[in-house]
Amino acid sequence: MANVLLIEPDAVLARTYMQALQHVGHDVSYAASAQDAIAAADETKPDVVVLELRMAVHDGIEFLYEFRSYPEWQRIPVIVNSHIVPSNLEPVRVALQDDLGVTALLYKPRTSLQQLISQIKGQINPT
Amino acid sequence: MQGDSANKSQETTQLLRSVAEQLKMPLSTIARQAELGQLTGDLSLTDLSAIRTHASAALTLVDCYLLGLQLIREQAALPLEPVSVSSLLVETAHELEAFAKQYDTTLELHIAGKYEPVMAHHAGLKSALLSLGYALLESYPVQQRGRMSLAVHRTPNGIVTGLYGDFEQLSSKAWRTALQLQGKAPRPFESLSSNGAGLFVAEAILQAMDTKLRVGKHRKQHGLATTLQPSQQLSFV
Repeated sequence: MANVLLIEPDAVLARTYMQALQHVGHDVSYAASAQDAIAAADETKPDVVVLELRMAVHDGIEFLYEFRSYPEWQRIPVIVNSHIVPSNLEPVRVALQDDLGVTALLYKPRTSLQQLISQIKGQINPT
Repeated sequence: MQGDSANKSQETTQLLRSVAEQLKMPLSTIARQAELGQLTGDLSLTDLSAIRTHASAALTLVDCYLLGLQLIREQAALPLEPVSVSSLLVETAHELEAFAKQYDTTLELHIAGKYEPVMAHHAGLKSALLSLGYALLESYPVQQRGRMSLAVHRTPNGIVTGLYGDFEQLSSKAWRTALQLQGKAPRPFESLSSNGAGLFVAEAILQAMDTKLRVGKHRKQHGLATTLQPSQQLSFV
């Protein structure tokens, strides 16, 4: 099982995701902002990151630039699970996937807990 | 005239886009909570109070949003009548309480002293305060959670009522900028994680009562509030 860093600004949704991920055996650390996420990553050494792009002060893209600037975090899979409509992410899709190493782009309202769990499984056990 | 109508149409579209985005939050929470018990096989993990609270918030917000959009589209004014601001705040606090709890926040009611009725539209003012409350509670930075106040106080300009918390970064300039960016930028407020649709709806409703939201301060807390005029008629009774 994996060490998952969940970056989610909404506390109620975060609790729900944490319960689901912990139920299937993951260790989950949680951050509500980009600043806290960097500190949490440093502390918990995640195997995979689940990220909402829309956050206060520093958004998810700013987080990714900071996160990927550290050599030890450059290969950690990042799953974007966001409320932003996929078509609105088109202009930054290439940057997210090619430059910032985002391994999956999920649309949060349409992604079930089971789908998120499957995505995480796929990232930590790539076939 | 045509230009004005086009501006109103654009304003309505922008607000509609913002509120549609905003409604995803409670609906996503309901959907994921409903799945949790099924996924784990432990139905007790599904927090029914969270589902009920978020469903209720979503339904209330739909009504507030509809009112806001209608007022913008029709450029209508709400008829003003004497309203007891104290009892309206009690009603509003009661409706927001469960939602605040979901976000680990205690909602305090600050009504110091007695207030004469204010000139307002009862349902409109309540919708504006609910919309404001849901938006601020949802956007409250996790690090600063704990306490938010629904308050009323008197100033030389009138009776001021609003919601206050640790929103130091929500300055008058940030509010003016956000009003210009609403519907155009995904995150008009740098200091809030949400798109602030509820704040814009509150502003639209208040404008139909010939008042508006302003950045304000109450007992060292920062937030958004509106100034209401006392009912002269009843002051002399």
